[in-house]
Amino acid sequence: MDEKKAAILGEIPRLRRYARSLLRDRDSADDLVQDCLERALVRLDNWQTGESPRRWLFTIMHHLFIDQMRKVNRRGEAAMLPLEASEAQAAPAEQVESIASREIVDALQAISPDRRAALVMVAIEGFSYAEAANILGVPAGTLMSRIARGREELRALLDDTARRRSIRIVEK
Amino acid sequence: MSRRDFSERDIHMALDGELPGDERTAYEAWLEANAEMKAKSARYAADRAALRAAFNGVLDEPVPVRLNKVVLGEASVVRAAPSRSRWWLAVAAAAMLVIGGAGGYLAGIGGLGLENRAEDQLAEEAIAAHVIYAAEKRHAVEVPASDKDHLQSWLSNQVGLKLVAPDLAAQGFQLVGGRLLPAGQGKAAMLLYEDDKGARISLFVTAESAAKAKGTYGSEEDGPAAIYWLDKGYGCAVVGSLPRERLAAVAKSAYGQLLAALQS
Repeated sequence: MDEKKAAILGEIPRLRRYARSLLRDRDSADDLVQDCLERALVRLDNWQTGESPRRWLFTIMHHLFIDQMRKVNRRGEAAMLPLEASEAQAAPAEQVESIASREIVDALQAISPDRRAALVMVAIEGFSYAEAANILGVPAGTLMSRIARGREELRALLDDTARRRSIRIVEK
Repeated sequence: MSRRDFSERDIHMALDGELPGDERTAYEAWLEANAEMKAKSARYAADRAALRAAFNGVLDEPVPVRLNKVVLGEASVVRAAPSRSRWWLAVAAAAMLVIGGAGGYLAGIGGLGLENRAEDQLAEEAIAAHVIYAAEKRHAVEVPASDKDHLQSWLSNQVGLKLVAPDLAAQGFQLVGGRLLPAGQGKAAMLLYEDDKGARISLFVTAESAAKAKGTYGSEEDGPAAIYWLDKGYGCAVVGSLPRERLAAVAKSAYGQLLAALQS
């Protein structure tokens, strides 16, 4: 197996984690990874020797995600939103999640995709501001404000969840 | 050492390892002197730890074979159509969340149930019926609310479910009446309600469902949205152009009453 392919294989777990944080649903996230890998293989020649495979692949995947997001916005595609997780009696749990973990995953899904991507890049994937800005194709200042807004929004949603949970307990 | 004023921006930089090393000491001192900023920093740090904990498990999952095969070239690159379209449906849902503004209300997600299109169909039929009949002044319903007992028994017999017309007075809605509609291969009952300002909502119930799902469905425009739930043997959607919170309150009340009747 050639070196490039070996390097790509090694990045799949990280790509899956990033996709999962963008989309949450496991199959959808893996479909995004698959699209990313397919595109990467077609463009293998564009990959400069010496360039980090991680940065290259994340850039490809992010473009796929953002392109699709824009198309969906333009077309005015109808979409489904499941109700609150706690009330979604029928939703099968894909993995065992603690309540705290589920809450933060829910909150992450609720913030804008741009902010979500920026925050995840830095806070989970551990990219530097410079690397993340490069991958997302935005100036460093934009990246920083997305991270700051993203964190604020996430915290506000978590505070809100905690408040609603306490209201529900009082109701019973 | 150069002194400078720190701000909330520095909290993020410090957390993300972007604060220059020679500013670190001054930053820590500033944080110690600002209880509010210190608390904020602690919350953000805890959130980040929770985020990492929530997603780190993905790294330990076995990589799906199909992904490795793409890279190794063992599989044809062509993929089955249903799979192809799935991830961007999740994107569509994500886009909806953004348009939802505050977004948080209906955003608590329990997995995007995108594989099953039964709820799509139910919600679309319910919305279509609502658009047609809720706009009707004189012929909105076949059986008026004044004949409620007959309405309930007739629709129950036709649809094959034990149906009641839920009492939604607490949410400000009075029953206008109901009608029978085609739905998929079977029949659906539609119940129309109106509030004192003339706003109308409808309940759409069918006996056809093998899937289990629950959610909301709507277009991005200002058109009506549906809150639906499906279980084995029945499916129901509440449709209206109300603010989401109010529609959710109506749906919750209707759901409780319909379920109680179905299971009685």
